[in-house]
Amino acid sequence: MKNFLSLQARRVYIGLIMLFLYAPIITLIVLSFNASRSRAKWGGFTLNWYRALFENEAVMQALYNTLAIALLSSLIATVIGTISCIAINGMKKRGRTIFMGITNIPMLNADIVTGISLMLLFISLGVRFGFNTILLSHITFNIPYVILSVMPRMKQLNPSVYEAALDLGASPLKAYFKVVLPDLMPAIQSGFLMAFTMSLDDFIITHFTKGPGIDTLSTKIYTEVKKGIKPEMYALSTLIFVTVLVLLVLVNKTPVPEKKIRRLPVHGLTGKPWFKYGLTGILLLLIGGGLIFGITGLDEPKIEQVIVYNWGEYLDPEVIKMFEEETGIQVIYDEFETNEIMYPKVEAGTSAYDVICPSDYMIEKMIENDLLLEIDFSRIPNAANIGEQYYEQSKAFDPQNKYSVPYCWGTVGILYNKTMVEEPVDSWSILWDERYKNNILMQDSVRDAFMVALKLSGYSMNSIDKEELRQAKELLIRQQPLVQAYVVDQVRDKMIGGEAALGVIYSGEAIYTKRENSDLEYVIPKEGTNVWIDSWVIPKTSKNKENAETFINYMCRADIALMNFEYITYSTPNDAARALIEDEDIRNSTIAFPDLNQYDHLETFTYIGEDGDALYNKLWKEVKSQ
Amino acid sequence: MSTKLINLQHISKSYGDNLILDDMNLYIRENEFLTLLGPSGCGKTTTLRIIGGFEKADQGIVYFDGLDISQLPPNKRQVNTVFQKYALFTHMSIAENIAFGLKIKGKSKAYIDDKINYALKLVNLEGYGHRSPDSLSGGQQQRIAIARAIVNEPKVLLLDEPLGALDLKLRQDMQYELIRLKNELGITFIYVTHDQEEALTMSDTIVVMNQGYIQQIGTPEDIYNEPENAFVADFIGDSNIIDAIMVQDELVDILGTKFACVDKGFGNNTPVDVVIRPEDVELVAPEKGTLEGVVTHLIFKGVHYEMEVLAGGFEWLVHSTALVPVGTKVGIHVDPFNIQIMNKPESEDEEAAVLDE
Repeated sequence: MKNFLSLQARRVYIGLIMLFLYAPIITLIVLSFNASRSRAKWGGFTLNWYRALFENEAVMQALYNTLAIALLSSLIATVIGTISCIAINGMKKRGRTIFMGITNIPMLNADIVTGISLMLLFISLGVRFGFNTILLSHITFNIPYVILSVMPRMKQLNPSVYEAALDLGASPLKAYFKVVLPDLMPAIQSGFLMAFTMSLDDFIITHFTKGPGIDTLSTKIYTEVKKGIKPEMYALSTLIFVTVLVLLVLVNKTPVPEKKIRRLPVHGLTGKPWFKYGLTGILLLLIGGGLIFGITGLDEPKIEQVIVYNWGEYLDPEVIKMFEEETGIQVIYDEFETNEIMYPKVEAGTSAYDVICPSDYMIEKMIENDLLLEIDFSRIPNAANIGEQYYEQSKAFDPQNKYSVPYCWGTVGILYNKTMVEEPVDSWSILWDERYKNNILMQDSVRDAFMVALKLSGYSMNSIDKEELRQAKELLIRQQPLVQAYVVDQVRDKMIGGEAALGVIYSGEAIYTKRENSDLEYVIPKEGTNVWIDSWVIPKTSKNKENAETFINYMCRADIALMNFEYITYSTPNDAARALIEDEDIRNSTIAFPDLNQYDHLETFTYIGEDGDALYNKLWKEVKSQ
Repeated sequence: MSTKLINLQHISKSYGDNLILDDMNLYIRENEFLTLLGPSGCGKTTTLRIIGGFEKADQGIVYFDGLDISQLPPNKRQVNTVFQKYALFTHMSIAENIAFGLKIKGKSKAYIDDKINYALKLVNLEGYGHRSPDSLSGGQQQRIAIARAIVNEPKVLLLDEPLGALDLKLRQDMQYELIRLKNELGITFIYVTHDQEEALTMSDTIVVMNQGYIQQIGTPEDIYNEPENAFVADFIGDSNIIDAIMVQDELVDILGTKFACVDKGFGNNTPVDVVIRPEDVELVAPEKGTLEGVVTHLIFKGVHYEMEVLAGGFEWLVHSTALVPVGTKVGIHVDPFNIQIMNKPESEDEEAAVLDE
């Protein structure tokens, strides 16, 4: 067998495996030093993302939360887990087997099940979601890992060692601390490190058990998916990877039985005092910090506050500070990634959100399911800054303009590369042109894809007519051989990199891509398109409705709306803010601010009901499976 | 050698339905080297653990120097133990191991240093103080375990099969070492083993135990030469144990042939067990022996030949320095004082023990 494969072949094989394993991470690390924001372009080496990362308060806060939760939860889990091991070890064989089985189950359980069940438990106990709930959850899922690590060592332990200590005059407690514990120490340490890594890593369970105003790194990063992950996050991920790598190396090194006893003059029992005191100090600090956190977290707030639930990266953080200073109302800020993730959290009532920023069709669904409060517009004088056309457009989902105040909007259109497409583009039909085979990028999302086909056929993009949808499906199937890829975020990067000629894209991205690659042009096809609107609403769970209205009013103030526009770069419906934009090109940009009256057949997504959703999904599957 | 330092009275102990010790009475005198000898499960280790305080007897009292210590925890007793698997603290250096008990007692650093040096010298491991227990051989580790125990100046040292994990040569060396140690320290040793040779070599007194009962207490010579029952005889060395009838004083009928012996007082025509050690069976010319037989097996054992001789329907085990080939017809002769007469076992337990062996 030895010569079954030549040495060369074996090396290549190992090389390939390493490549598959580490290519993604290496890409990430390389990109974290890329001066260009685009993934497709190398703009030179920079450490700017790392600097930006450390200057980003929200991320640093999330980092602190992550570390505090990881350290506290793994410490507490280590203590509980080790004590449990002592108890389990003392059981009869049957009990021990049963208990070990029970402790193993949570480890094998899917994270999502653990996360949801913890969330339900906390809701039924009426616990307020926040730092505490995350900490408790992490302790819960960390304990099995500690037991898994400590138990085998416990079993190997020579029981005579404990008796020998008693025999030499130690009290049972002293014997445990002086003799048994040090013997278990390598296993306890690796259990601790394993728990720490698990906690650092966790997204799903944290996601379900966190409350407004608190994020760990993983949830923070995920909230950015709407606007595309920023390069700072590559830098952060690189740092996390390196940290975990170091921890893993440590974990794998510690359990090796120490052959040498280094230190120690004859009576060095106490070890190095600075080490002992230092460690104790850090522990006390952390536990103290955790307690203070916990207590302040538990306290019912006496000061005025407003709990905001918004898309990730969808508000200038400076605005929040200004709002707090000017009004004295404290903002607790929470972020979501998609409408579909936001909805169940609001419906389940995990937290009493005051202001939320859902999209058009989701607002309709929330109105339909009686989750929203009517807004008192007399308390929002700045609402007048919003252009009338946007209120008109909003009637698609909020017919009487009673529940929502527009915040961001945009269109969907075709982004094309002028060097690759010579003719003027003005119709969705170009996406069916054989000449651009393998140069077309479609959105990988059911409603966006069907919107294109339905509009091309002259139907409503909210159609639930089976025949119309069948035709749309046929169109999409016909188009499929021409499509290079169905993607979401990558449209932007691929177009910047010149990897495709045509792509379906949101207008908010188009402004940025044009800046990176001047060959790109954006058009709204003549058959009409989707005008999407994200608006502020107040859910029924709100306990501070007046503060919520104050907040919305503040967001509508011209200078504030301008700040947010400059931060998000998505079109603002705030006419007064637009008038303040200094850069004439942007102020008059037809991409950012198309005159809606010039286009026909513009529509906004509406809620098509569960049956409608199911029908769309079924047809989309048929398209994709071709 | 006269004071009863430890006195066990009416000790019973069982684990669930399993009776380990049944109403045991035993005393240990000061400065005695006493060995608890028996097969595994005979209760010898349990007895030691009751003295050490690691187990509590269900019934009975343990006196130490005249005081009832039955309820005293191990860390309060004036005894120290050397465990079977050494039980050294692997995360500490050897010096720290030895210092462990003294530190707990709050002795001064100078005192502790002195003691460590003294103890290491005593067990011939001077200069090993800074090393880790893992870096020592089994025999060295066991000597450290002894050093760790004796620095506390116990009145009694308990040793639980301390040589069990060592190889034969090392075991023999350590036996002499232990005797020397005991003489130098002048304290009481209670030693547990299943190895009869170890027991015979080192002990002042041997307590043979089986199934929770004491079978015999005596000096090594007593135990070897005059086993009180078949179990003891069988357990201590190789033996020929034969059903016989005591015809009258000083005359016994073995396998239908009358042998002269020196025992008296068993009555007339009483069924007894006879023990004859293999080295006490003399092989002579067929016509000169009391019993005639033929050699059926022969093995060279180094010091002697081990043979089996079929005579009178019994396979006699014989040790002899002279070689007698297989098939040779021989006569068997036993000197009267080498025939040990024993009563037949009375209890079923004793019977069972014989069958077990």
